[in-house]
Amino acid sequence: MRRMAGATLEWLDERAAIRYLLRKGLYEAVPVRGAWFYTLGSATLVLITVQLITGIFLTMLFVPSVKEAWESLDYIRQHDAFASVVRGIHLWDAYLLLLVLGLHMVRTFSSGSYKRPRELNWLSGVGLFLLVLAMAITGAMLPWDQAAYWTAVVTTNIPSYLPLVGSFLRDLWRGGTFVGPITLVRTFGIHVWLIPALLFTLIGAHLALLRKHGEFGSYVNYRGAYRSYEGREVPPAPAERPIEPPYPSTPSEEEWSAPLQTEDFYPFQTFKDGVVSLVCLLIVLALALGIGAPLEDPANPAAISYTPTPEWFYLPLDQLLVLVPKELISLVLFIPLGGVLLLVALPFIDRGPERNPFERPAVIVPGAIVVLFIVILTLLGSGRLFNL
Amino acid sequence: MSAALLLPLVHLLDLQLPEHAPSFGGEAGYRAAIGIIMSTHILISGLVSGATQLGPFIEWLGYMRQRPRYDRLAHGLARFAVYYFGIGTATAILFMVVLVVGLWGHFFTTLVRITWWPFVIEAWSFVLMVVLTYIWYYTWERLRPFKVLHMALGGMLVVASVIQVAMIDIVASYMLTPGAPSDPIRIAINPTVYPLDVHRLIANLAYIGFAIGGFSAILFWRSREPEDRAFYDWAGSFGLLWGMSLTALQPVVGYSYAKEIQLHSYAAWFKMMRGDLSTVFVWQILLLGMMFTVGVWYFFRRLRTAGARGTSLLKTATIGLLILAIFAALPYHLAFNQDQVIKAGLNRPFWEGGLIDPLGAMIPNKVLALMGLDLLAMLGVVWYLRGLRDVAWGAPARGEQRLLIASGVMVMMMIVTMGFIRENSRVPYLISGEITVSGQQDVSPPQTSPAPLPPP
Repeated sequence: MRRMAGATLEWLDERAAIRYLLRKGLYEAVPVRGAWFYTLGSATLVLITVQLITGIFLTMLFVPSVKEAWESLDYIRQHDAFASVVRGIHLWDAYLLLLVLGLHMVRTFSSGSYKRPRELNWLSGVGLFLLVLAMAITGAMLPWDQAAYWTAVVTTNIPSYLPLVGSFLRDLWRGGTFVGPITLVRTFGIHVWLIPALLFTLIGAHLALLRKHGEFGSYVNYRGAYRSYEGREVPPAPAERPIEPPYPSTPSEEEWSAPLQTEDFYPFQTFKDGVVSLVCLLIVLALALGIGAPLEDPANPAAISYTPTPEWFYLPLDQLLVLVPKELISLVLFIPLGGVLLLVALPFIDRGPERNPFERPAVIVPGAIVVLFIVILTLLGSGRLFNL
Repeated sequence: MSAALLLPLVHLLDLQLPEHAPSFGGEAGYRAAIGIIMSTHILISGLVSGATQLGPFIEWLGYMRQRPRYDRLAHGLARFAVYYFGIGTATAILFMVVLVVGLWGHFFTTLVRITWWPFVIEAWSFVLMVVLTYIWYYTWERLRPFKVLHMALGGMLVVASVIQVAMIDIVASYMLTPGAPSDPIRIAINPTVYPLDVHRLIANLAYIGFAIGGFSAILFWRSREPEDRAFYDWAGSFGLLWGMSLTALQPVVGYSYAKEIQLHSYAAWFKMMRGDLSTVFVWQILLLGMMFTVGVWYFFRRLRTAGARGTSLLKTATIGLLILAIFAALPYHLAFNQDQVIKAGLNRPFWEGGLIDPLGAMIPNKVLALMGLDLLAMLGVVWYLRGLRDVAWGAPARGEQRLLIASGVMVMMMIVTMGFIRENSRVPYLISGEITVSGQQDVSPPQTSPAPLPPP
């Protein structure tokens, strides 16, 4: 039996270079210090994979039509305990994914990991963030209960505030002037085909770029960090262990191109990644079993007693829309758009060599204010979750 | 012997003290007395809360950056908190026990019954805060070899301080937007509790920043050693930066707060935005605009004195802020309340050709102006941070220190103005729509036995 397995492995290795790929995948150098912070990227990947698996499962039960969407989910709720848990996992995994992805972005931003030569890593990451947001909002529209219907009404109406093409885009998404059957089918198509296709393409690019340039990690791993410490000298280039591929990452500045200390991705980093990913999965499972995925009454456009409450990740934008007078809504919609443009432009604006966040106040302070602004808007908007 | 000496003194006091508590000249007098004490309390306690929340953060920042001046500033804040805790507490006791209980006894008893648990938690978190403040300050040198432990103490102090403010915010927000008094959850998460909590938290942190700026400017003038002058120059700049950055968040939070008041306590909102208090609101907007203007003006001047880059944009931003501040405070029409506007036949929005609401109308011109003020203030902060690398601390011009002091004074005026608007928006109510100011001083004993029957 062992001989047969060994022979099969040899056969595969000769044709697909499995040993080489495993070695390349597992034994690359990663920075040592601050490694727990780098686990957020792999946790994100694990959570996205769970989305894919549970999503495939749910498509086998969910019927994307206004008449049967709610009924198919109601059937799951009442008669299929396992599918109910899977639906709960799909929902809570998506929520946690947004949170972990947000933290991953904050970590990357604060450590200056977007600087050359990692500009494309950052850009692909921004793309992934937007796609996950789009995935979440389109997913929230699918159950076709009251919450989903009003989310669809509000979300599909947002493009209409854009000048010139606004009404066209809204009608294109809705399949007419009003939200209806075509809206649901189109949203379903976007959710299960269009966004995942883009998402997994970008994930591939993101990982390939990560492998090419190596994990930057944190400024504390580099010689450049010692420049900002008063009374401490910059240590010499690493001597304990020779610089290993993918380091030095070029065309980075010499002091920031290779960590002072590295370790193998396997087993050191994989252990930490595994622990954090497992904790995330346990949280998701606990929430899925404990709370599950809610399903409100079927969508009823004529209901006047229903108070719509937005998804929590939508609260910052919703709060902005609630606050401003009608005449200024178009203007306010440019705030998130401007935010996205700033994210895209960040590696090209902040081009200085410095990586230490405490020595980059001109970038970190406004960044912190923006994050604080989003948190505050979420907090202010959360009053509506309690129907205050 | 001592009794023989003391007895005449006691008699003398008996002759000197009036028979009854002072009347303060009636209801207006009560309100004025409470307003003055409350404003004094807020001005001091806001600083103490800010110091206990910002101080530990600055200490951590110094540890991370390995810069001794951060440690010195944090230590100074700890000393300030220790010294001024007593004054803040004394004004609070005078306010609560003597004035509120003495003058608005019925209201305060009712309020304490309704918000019993927030008061209890507030009291205990206050105890924790006092204990931690003293330990944090007095172990500064002893725990220097164990800095992480000392910072952990500071972190606990931040938590205690935030809880203490959050609890008193529940009480304050409940008075404006009360819910069912029997439901503790509805009392705790009443409609304005979030915005007030966030607004105050940021305000306390920004306030201490501006105060550091103003106080450092005075100490800079008094100091002679180059090292001290460099420290106070840097501390002034740091404080103002901190204050400006956080104040840039306030218009959004404040606007959210006003929106919730509009939805849940319309009469109070109307009074603030369109009624008698709208004029005060215009003053507040002007103050905010001037705070931003003076702050960015300081940034411009400090970089210019240091010969650093980025001054031309800061100069333009200062002028832009001044124009926007004037635009934000521009009255549509010289009417002082909604009645006068209606009389003038101008109670239509401006986009319908009317002019319009009274002085304090916020929508939409002032919203636009606020957005502009915010963006320019943020731009000023970023540009100043960008130019700071070229600044050598210790040799500012005199005008810059004046601007720091002016910023500090304006923030104090702002705090008093905001307190005045919020507390007066409820008048004549103490708890919105529930308990009024009148009749609070009635202390006649209740009728305990039935009245005698009339003779047959």
